[in-house]
Amino acid sequence: MSLSLLFQSVLSGLTNGFVYGLVGLGLASIFRGTRIINAMQGDFALIGGITAVLLLERFGWPMAPAFAAAVAVGGIAGWLMEVLLIRPLRRRGGSEDSYLLLTLGVAFAVSALVLYTVGRDSHSLPGLGGEGIVVIGDAAIRTHALWLIAISLAAMGALRLFFAKTALGLSMMAAALDADGALTTGINVPLMRTLTFVLGGLVGGLAGVLVGPLVTVYFDMGLLLTLKGFAAAILGGLANPMGAIVGGVTLGLLESLAIVTVSSGYKDVIAMAILIVIMIAMPNGLLGRRLRKGG
Amino acid sequence: MPPLRRALVWGIPLLVWAALPFVATRHIVDLLVFAGLYTIAGLGVAFLLGQCGIVSLAQSVFYGIGAYCTAWFCAHKGLPSPVGAAAGIALSTAIAALVGWPILRLSGHFLALATLALGIIGQVLFLEWDWLTGGTLGIGGIPRIAPFGFAFDTPLRFYFLVWPIALLLLVLHHNLLHSRNGLALRAMRDSPEAAAVLGLDIHRLKVQMFVLSAALGSAAGSLFAHYVTFVSVDSFAVDRAISFLLLAVLGGVYTVWGPVLGALFITVLPQWLSRLGDIHAFVFAAALIAAVILLPEGFGGAIRNWWRARAPK
Repeated sequence: MSLSLLFQSVLSGLTNGFVYGLVGLGLASIFRGTRIINAMQGDFALIGGITAVLLLERFGWPMAPAFAAAVAVGGIAGWLMEVLLIRPLRRRGGSEDSYLLLTLGVAFAVSALVLYTVGRDSHSLPGLGGEGIVVIGDAAIRTHALWLIAISLAAMGALRLFFAKTALGLSMMAAALDADGALTTGINVPLMRTLTFVLGGLVGGLAGVLVGPLVTVYFDMGLLLTLKGFAAAILGGLANPMGAIVGGVTLGLLESLAIVTVSSGYKDVIAMAILIVIMIAMPNGLLGRRLRKGG
Repeated sequence: MPPLRRALVWGIPLLVWAALPFVATRHIVDLLVFAGLYTIAGLGVAFLLGQCGIVSLAQSVFYGIGAYCTAWFCAHKGLPSPVGAAAGIALSTAIAALVGWPILRLSGHFLALATLALGIIGQVLFLEWDWLTGGTLGIGGIPRIAPFGFAFDTPLRFYFLVWPIALLLLVLHHNLLHSRNGLALRAMRDSPEAAAVLGLDIHRLKVQMFVLSAALGSAAGSLFAHYVTFVSVDSFAVDRAISFLLLAVLGGVYTVWGPVLGALFITVLPQWLSRLGDIHAFVFAAALIAAVILLPEGFGGAIRNWWRARAPK
């Protein structure tokens, strides 16, 4: 195996890793705010991606407003989901597993709705920075991938600041950690839960427009993205949204190394086997307890 | 319950069950056979969830192992069907014990993800080991089950093979729940600390139940292979494991016959809805969402609660 091949695979693993990390970031944020594993986080990306495709192709919007609108639609989807489905289930006293099933059902519904309205074709989104390529040493990386990495890191930093510094973010954390206590201090707990889903939807929609140019957008993309995002979030430590990016990058690198050293067919086997081992050996994720904050 | 009413409560469903395949179309009977197969595999998932609180998304792996063992031993080697089924169960239980031992130390979402990871590993290996499984081309020419020259070769005949097996397993499951082990399981689910203090080896019990669940999955897989006579990777992907989990939860994991209702829901409803055209997948998903929100204990739990509420009157 040549060194440049290895370097190239590290670059592509890094790119995939940030995609998983971005999905995991949304998943972990929602988990932290509501203790719900959102099995349709990947479908937020599908919603965002397909909105961008429709706005660009059918309505001829320019790229920037189309992408911004797609992210916003992801947030609206999160809001609708919490108000229309999660809240009634909470009122009826749903168990931990029932939320998982509910969100899984929503994932099927979103996928089926996209299949019905848009069809089974795959759609490709234009990349940020066009189809340009940056050459690093012997290897090449798409300009879009660099944008993806930069935006993911920015989103991670912004979320971190939001939860640690702003009144709204602190209120959301308080509502998640101790709902009764937060209520007595005048925090609108149901609103905070709704906002958590809006936030998760926004991050999911962002993942959608960033993933679209790399892998195509199609009706069945959600579940696999959710799985990889879930793995990323668990690797990083589920309670620590920032860990999701670290976990995602780890997963992406492991996968790409598996491709060059073993065979592309076994990449999921190796990634999943390592995931199981890490969960047993390091139950708090790669970042461990030291960096965990706020539950 | 007075004897006459008891007879009616048990007799009428049995009569309906026996008469149904003779009045239904061949297509519906075919779906009912699948519902029977799914009941067996889903039962394993349901009692893991209901009795041990384990979310298993690995049942598709054991379902696949059962089917491939039957395909390999009966189609390639020409051995009789019990050999294939027994080999499948032996291999499944061995793998379940080996993998379950470390994994069942995990709990909650971690355990769910670990079983999902197993499901994905199984799906990939079934595809990559094509020298063994035939990959996407699959293995065909699996013989029918034909004891004493009577072949179970039509949906109608297979209906009367799979459902008695499924019903027998449900009865055995009912007995297990009311045995010493069943009580231990319930203690373990409701209060792990108290169960540990009582000297129950919780981890060992969990592994035993996981192994038992794998055996059910494998048996269902073997029957499936004999019924369709052709197996390929598509039947053992992770979405099959998701269907098994869905049927268990929809049917209700705290009632013995919940998996039957869940299996009927996920096999018959999508086919019945398909007359609506392309929108049917969405309608099915919406029905699923409504069932999760409105019936937290599944169909089985809802019917039981309704029955108990009206019984004293």
